[in-house]
Amino acid sequence: MSADRYSRQSFLGADAEERIARCTIAIPGLGGGGSHIVQQLAHIGFQNYIIYDDDRVEESNLNRLVGAKAVDALAETSKLHLAKMMIYGLQPRARVQAFSCKWQERPEPLREGQIVIGCVDSYKGREELEIACRRYLMHYIDIGMDVHGKEPPVIGGQVILSSPGGYCLRCMGFLTDEKLAREAALYGNAGGRPQVVWPNGVLASTAVGLAVDLVTNWTRKGRSHAYLVYDGNAGTVQNSHTLRNLNAACDHYPTVEIGDPIMTEL
Amino acid sequence: MNILIKLTGLLHSQMLDDLRRRHPFAAERVGFASGRLGTLQDGGRLVLLTRYQSIPDDQYIDDPTVGARIGSEAITNAMQSAYFGRQAQEGVFHVHLHGHHGKTGMSHTDQREIPPLIPGFQSVGRQAPHGIIILSLDHGSVWVWLPGNKEAIKAASVATIGAPIGVFESGVSK
Amino acid sequence: MSYSQEQIDELKRYCTKLSALTEGGTFFFHLEELRLPAGCSPATCDALLCPTAKDGYPSRLYFSALIVAPYPKNWNVSGARIGEKNWWAFSWRVDLASPSLSQLLIAHLNGFIKQ
Repeated sequence: MSADRYSRQSFLGADAEERIARCTIAIPGLGGGGSHIVQQLAHIGFQNYIIYDDDRVEESNLNRLVGAKAVDALAETSKLHLAKMMIYGLQPRARVQAFSCKWQERPEPLREGQIVIGCVDSYKGREELEIACRRYLMHYIDIGMDVHGKEPPVIGGQVILSSPGGYCLRCMGFLTDEKLAREAALYGNAGGRPQVVWPNGVLASTAVGLAVDLVTNWTRKGRSHAYLVYDGNAGTVQNSHTLRNLNAACDHYPTVEIGDPIMTEL
Repeated sequence: MNILIKLTGLLHSQMLDDLRRRHPFAAERVGFASGRLGTLQDGGRLVLLTRYQSIPDDQYIDDPTVGARIGSEAITNAMQSAYFGRQAQEGVFHVHLHGHHGKTGMSHTDQREIPPLIPGFQSVGRQAPHGIIILSLDHGSVWVWLPGNKEAIKAASVATIGAPIGVFESGVSK
Repeated sequence: MSYSQEQIDELKRYCTKLSALTEGGTFFFHLEELRLPAGCSPATCDALLCPTAKDGYPSRLYFSALIVAPYPKNWNVSGARIGEKNWWAFSWRVDLASPSLSQLLIAHLNGFIKQ
């Protein structure tokens, strides 16, 4: 590998390349968001990946699935295969653990990671991923977008960082019992959500930026949490107003819930 | 068997800050951390460190032949941690710092003095992991005695989950 | 939330082992090998009873497997992750005023035998 390869990102720090190479990053979900993320991580120099997806490329994915070509829809190429090709094409020596299933079906590999970037499409899915990240001490970066309304449609999205010991999705006002209840009531009726490539790109890039900062601390911010709101109509990414009302500390994930669950016999 | 260690960046900083403090007479400081198990694939185990307990100055014994010697009260407190940690299956890890940069390991004194503590912790906290943590200023090595095991396993890596993330690899194959 | 020992002992009668689990601020009773109503297959399975509001229900009973019931059920929880295991639950609302734990459990199990 030529020394020139990362010369344009030397501002990340003298030891950034080594730090990035040693980090293990998990991406459960390789759709519109996850495919962007994998591409960027591979460009930057990440070497250790844990990836999950049980889906195959369809025609309707081609408007946003990074790395997918028309022939992949015809061939029903697995999204896992696309992601592996993306990674190995840029990082031939990468260590990629790839699982053709949902992460919940093979949860143990996920726990090796230091960072999980989740591109799940439900509040329930996010809650489950956050619980796993708190149990097994992983930074959790969540991204999501939606399109609602009609005249005109409104594109919105978020990038959230939830770190062990720091504020969680509930503390930051993103996850609430009401949202979970509303979602549960719609089970099976949510339908295909609108998805387009450029908001996915904004959100994925923002998430990768957070991940790189967690690894290198190049901004010197030492972040323990973040909640960035994307306004796709205005073209802005800003801190959520909910960050103004944070409690003193997160009390949703006590230390006693770290590690494998312990059932206390009654 | 593959063993990985994780702790938050905050806990790591707490340990370093405590262990770097000067002691009135001991050349080094010692502490005890608590840790729980997580299951990895292929039989591997994760040890997740949860808390750190500093040892008060007056619980050291003035012994110039070693870097630090802790007294019976400090050991008793550690055993109590093992006892009260039983329900949570939380074990005890002896921690100290070698004040240099880079990889570190057990000195001859460490190898002689520290492992004999482990069977005592195991007898009290039978279902918990126990072990030894040796930190340097920018690295760390951990030896883990899994429940029921007489021999230690060296952890393949130690990861501090903070900002920045730290990953200290021991060179043991995963 | 605490429950009387009497209520806990009553609940134990329906399973081989009763344990407690807390996760993300929610408390669950874990019932090992809970006996299911006649006509269910399997006849026993592990279950989680959440006696407090969860996901829009005042209480919930989760099963460690998809149960074949005498009548079709709307299994609107499929592979939910709790306590590092996967759980299933069908849509069944139990609205009782201050039930005991075993009354709550029976009310949930009755969902299998109601059309």
